[in-house]
Amino acid sequence: MTTLRKPWLAPLLSVLLLAFLLGVWQLAAQPETTVVDPGLDPEYAALIGAAAAGGGQSAMPTPGEVGGKLWAHLTDPFYDRGTNDKGLGIQIGYSLARVLAGYLIAVALAVPLGFLIGMSPLAYRALDPYIQVLKPISPLAWMPLALYTIKDSGTSAVFVIFICSVWPILVNTAFGVASVRRDWLNVARTLEVSPLRTAFTVILPAAAPTILTGMRISIGIAWLVIVAAEMLVGGTGIGYFVWNEWNNLSIANIIVAILVIGVVGMALDTMLARLARAVSYRE
Amino acid sequence: MAFLHIEALAKRFPQADAPVFEHLNFSIERGEFVCILGHSGCGKTTVLNILSGLDEASAGTVVMDGREVRGPALDRGVVFQSHALMPWLSALKNVEFGVRSRWPEWSRREVEAHSIKTLEMVGLAHALHKKPHELSGGMKQRVGIARAFAIQPKMLLLDEPFGALDALTRGTIQDELMQIVAATQQTVFMITHDVDESILLADRILLMSNGPRAQLAEIVEVALPRPRDRHTIHHDPRYYRIRNHLVDFLVNRSRAFAAPEAGHAPAVVNPGSDIPEPQAA
Amino acid sequence: MSLSKNPFDANVSLAGRCNCGHHTSQAEHDAEAVAEREALESRAVEGAVMRALFPDDQLRRNFLKAVGVGTAYAAVATLFPLAAAREAFAESTGPLEKTKLKVGFIPITCATPIIMAHPMGFYAKQGLDVEVVKTAGWAVVRDKALAKEYDAAHMLSPMPLAISLGAGSNPIPWTMPAVENINGQAITLAMKHKDKRNPKSWKGFKFAVPFDYSMHNYLLRYYLAEFGIDPDKDVQIRSVPPPEMVANLRAGNIDGFLAPDPVNQRAVYDGVGFIHILSKDIWEGHPCCAFAASKEFVTQTPNTYKALLKAIIEATAYAKKAEHRKEIAAAIAPANYLNQPVTVVEQVLTGTFADGLGKVQKVPNRIDFDPFPWHSFAVWILTQMKRWGQIQGDVDYQKVAREVFLATDAAKLMQEVGLTPPKTTSKSFVVMKKTFDPAKPEAYLKSFAIGKS
Repeated sequence: MTTLRKPWLAPLLSVLLLAFLLGVWQLAAQPETTVVDPGLDPEYAALIGAAAAGGGQSAMPTPGEVGGKLWAHLTDPFYDRGTNDKGLGIQIGYSLARVLAGYLIAVALAVPLGFLIGMSPLAYRALDPYIQVLKPISPLAWMPLALYTIKDSGTSAVFVIFICSVWPILVNTAFGVASVRRDWLNVARTLEVSPLRTAFTVILPAAAPTILTGMRISIGIAWLVIVAAEMLVGGTGIGYFVWNEWNNLSIANIIVAILVIGVVGMALDTMLARLARAVSYRE
Repeated sequence: MAFLHIEALAKRFPQADAPVFEHLNFSIERGEFVCILGHSGCGKTTVLNILSGLDEASAGTVVMDGREVRGPALDRGVVFQSHALMPWLSALKNVEFGVRSRWPEWSRREVEAHSIKTLEMVGLAHALHKKPHELSGGMKQRVGIARAFAIQPKMLLLDEPFGALDALTRGTIQDELMQIVAATQQTVFMITHDVDESILLADRILLMSNGPRAQLAEIVEVALPRPRDRHTIHHDPRYYRIRNHLVDFLVNRSRAFAAPEAGHAPAVVNPGSDIPEPQAA
Repeated sequence: MSLSKNPFDANVSLAGRCNCGHHTSQAEHDAEAVAEREALESRAVEGAVMRALFPDDQLRRNFLKAVGVGTAYAAVATLFPLAAAREAFAESTGPLEKTKLKVGFIPITCATPIIMAHPMGFYAKQGLDVEVVKTAGWAVVRDKALAKEYDAAHMLSPMPLAISLGAGSNPIPWTMPAVENINGQAITLAMKHKDKRNPKSWKGFKFAVPFDYSMHNYLLRYYLAEFGIDPDKDVQIRSVPPPEMVANLRAGNIDGFLAPDPVNQRAVYDGVGFIHILSKDIWEGHPCCAFAASKEFVTQTPNTYKALLKAIIEATAYAKKAEHRKEIAAAIAPANYLNQPVTVVEQVLTGTFADGLGKVQKVPNRIDFDPFPWHSFAVWILTQMKRWGQIQGDVDYQKVAREVFLATDAAKLMQEVGLTPPKTTSKSFVVMKKTFDPAKPEAYLKSFAIGKS
């Protein structure tokens, strides 16, 4: 890539684009008239929403309203007003805990299994049909089955995260292990390195970038899925928060949640990208 | 019995009609430098892989130092054509990887000290902590040689180690290799495509006829005195006799070489032996 | 149940008639009832002990046949303190087996008693620490209840019947000790249909109901069918979770819905729809949602079950009084419970509401609360399940109704909290001018022109 002559140009454009979008949003969401229909019974008007009183429907929130909500959530992220009303920070915490639990189990299982499949053509051929059938199943399709068999919604959510993160890691690990350069393995063989030490000192570092790519794909999917899973099962988590605010038709809160989900997802992805960079190598 | 003795060696790959090579018989003495020369497809690399234990022969035996060779072992050091350095390890760590396997009882410091010494030997004292991608092709191959040398093998196997290098670098490393081999009395078996390289380095050159069904056609003795200097060696009139003989074989005779019956020992020739040794200038 | 707490206590005067009408006085009825129950309980205990000693049916029968029942019990009694076991069984006001409970609810006003019992202290009064957990949909409530994540739950009153019969899931004995609310639903249509008030003009409409096994589904189908609209052919009815209904109505994906409140009122509040008809105008006093628990919970933890049921029935009794409604609306509207504007909840509970067409209507019994699980309700629901093909074959209406709708438990506790339970567990009622006789369900079923059976 060529270096930009004016390094401030790109950020400036980003900010301008944001300002433009917010402006369009503000204009589009502007309630047309909030004047109460003069013919309306004032007692009736008091019982309905402001927009309905004007003869219209309640509108999209403006950027200002969303900003206000966002500020309120960010300044008080950990409040706890009962089982069903907890702060955004706590909800994110629940979601992250579920994602990490399911994800770490998936890593712990998929990496060794991927090693096996990658190193043994027999295991590859035996397991490949299962992988091909199970891989494309939407993780949410597992939810009813998980609820029915596991009989615990928290564990079911973790299971769904596990099942969606396991495939990319498994497939990438197997691929990475299978495509380790023959030369490196030969070096290890001529140096009489034990199979176990070869696995840890040659194959693992050689396949690490590919494995990390799979892990990065998985964490992205897991974060996508947790929101949907929690909307389905409810209780706690950022997905439940979205569902609860949908229930209240609070579009402003939903937009806040969407922003937060995006930022957390980006943070997770950045972390994995960092890790991937740490284990990557140039030949 | 010779240090390395090879008898009736043959290799047939699965699903191939004919063996790549067959009826291979030769010996290498301790401290000898032997090059193997031949066209692509004659099975040179396969021979080397069988010697290293990475590949298995279809027939025949390899006996080294009184014991049959089965599988790879630390008594043979291999320098790979593509250097085969682990790209995630520094030059030093790559060498240490071998050293630690050779002497597992050594402490970290011993391993490190020995590895540094070996790298200094190939002139890489300044690049210990560089990753392979930060090294030039020649430097990478030096690390590869250092890794093979560091385990102090009974025999060094080199698979066309300088093929990918430019002429200037190749010359420098050839010199270094010669010095180290001379200093350590190392037994070396090396594949090359380069006629001049083989004359410079080898005590004997094995000539392979074309595959499939390649055979060991001739063994050429290089009776040039050591130490050899690649700037002056071609002043020796025997040099061209040897060179012409080799080129003639590769260009004209290798294809049409008539296979003698099994068990027949290859002819040993010594081109230029009739020319008296020139007096040093 | 100890005698001192017996709701059928002779001190309760009931105008010289007993509950069942077969006795000249309540005292006589009670005496017989008590004797009958005690005999029943002893038999149950003895039977259980026998079964424990001789798990093999054939072996037990042979043993009983050989020595005679009386001898057998006498023999067993020497080994096992039967009398003590009988007393333990009868004693149900003992300590609570567990105090920390989880009760699931769907955020709609039907769940008012279950929800309000938390902020207003009805659970705490019974010594229970109940966590009321908001749940995303009825399928999830059902699965979480089946998975024992919830000890008890807010369900639609047809659901315990469906679960017990195995419609839509494996059959698991389920009970419904109390109805939560009666009435309180409405048909809401999108604003664009405000001139199409005659259901005959609704062909091709898309409707939403909260769940297949819901009163909403049966009432909407009944209503449509009465106007000659076949709900399976002329319109589309789909199951949509209540929170999504207003959003779908606004987006034009559906033309209307028969839904629980506050969904209807919320559609009006947001200017998206208008209330076409309240469900009480289809069937005055129909049941809607219910408080349900597994049979296992009822039998394994009887004291806890009783305390929980009492809290719910007390809350229901409190909610029945019109003067408490505003206070309740304020208690259940916050984000932790319904998560709705207070005015929306208040309009639903007080019955003074905007109808979406510019009028303020005053219908004080728009929603009402009456815990009594009439067996005849269950029978009616079963006829509709059969009418629309959700269950097939012969149904023992009365037996299923008795086993699932625990009318006697509710009656006892209603009396304890000062409500007057009805004398019988079955009554006939009128749905859209047509009288339903619970004694003749099959004849009722055959009288409909539109239906699948």
